[in-house]
Amino acid sequence: MIHDRYFFLNVILLAIGTLAIRGSFIAFSGKIKNSEKLRELFSYIPAAILPAFIFPATFFHRGIVESIYGKERVLILIASGIVFFFVRSTLLIISLGLVLLYVATTISTI
Amino acid sequence: MGFKAVLPIISGIIPFGAVMGSAFAEAQLSIWQAILMNTVVYAGAAQLATVDLMSQNAAVLVVLATGLIINLRFLLYSVAMSPLTHDSSALIKFLCAFTLTDQSYATMMANQSKFQSNSEAVQFYLGTAFCMALTWHASVYAGFIFGNFAPVSWSLDFAVPLSFVALLVPSLKNKKYIAVAIVSSILSLILYGLPLKTGLIATALLSMSFAFALIRRKNDS
Repeated sequence: MIHDRYFFLNVILLAIGTLAIRGSFIAFSGKIKNSEKLRELFSYIPAAILPAFIFPATFFHRGIVESIYGKERVLILIASGIVFFFVRSTLLIISLGLVLLYVATTISTI
Repeated sequence: MGFKAVLPIISGIIPFGAVMGSAFAEAQLSIWQAILMNTVVYAGAAQLATVDLMSQNAAVLVVLATGLIINLRFLLYSVAMSPLTHDSSALIKFLCAFTLTDQSYATMMANQSKFQSNSEAVQFYLGTAFCMALTWHASVYAGFIFGNFAPVSWSLDFAVPLSFVALLVPSLKNKKYIAVAIVSSILSLILYGLPLKTGLIATALLSMSFAFALIRRKNDS
């Protein structure tokens, strides 16, 4: 059981801290000069951060297809990435990935 | 336009929201407490970790440090968003900051070549943020009321890395971006075990340092 005062104190402090992190640079965007070099550096953010979401979530997941040591998600992710490179449809890659995973796990449990 | 662009990736948000909602219910919080936290904090991973800590009566400092360290990645997004919000009003700046999420930021960055002006980019971003907020709140409250409703066999959690692949691939414009992505992939696996989920922010900072070194090398040559 979480006590009300303890809960509200935590939530309010978290909300203030999170907004400060999110808003710090946006709030002063008119006052900070952005050079061309800095803009170029920002363009690397997706390449720097998105793999850090994708790979641990996929690689460290314990799957159930024994023949590939439970790493079916890794293989399906690579296959979906290759398909996306040619087709460029987000909906297709998600649907394809989920269907392939469903089929792989269903077959392995039969 | 932004609302439509983020629609394909919300399938990854729904199961995460349902897990968050059922975590609120398991922690015996009221629906009003869930609504309050979900609205004012609005950061899924941090909420999940801190609700768990609060259930164990952890010290306020521990709860706060954990939540804020997980949210540190938003600082990078805020830095990258700042040139776009340069001419925006205080209200728009507040809305952009308050609704900053991984998905809406990444969707906007993946589409940045389509924008003619900063205001167009901000408008697009707010569309993605509105769609994200709507989906997140609906799935959290559904999870609170009905429990984790998505069948496990559907593996909907896998939609999150799949949707990030769809956002990552268009951002790999040349060999340098691919090199940064490879470095980030390797580092994320090596640093995964760091405490308080700091592996994510450590990977991001080291990969950005690598990108900075690549830019400097190009300028020197």
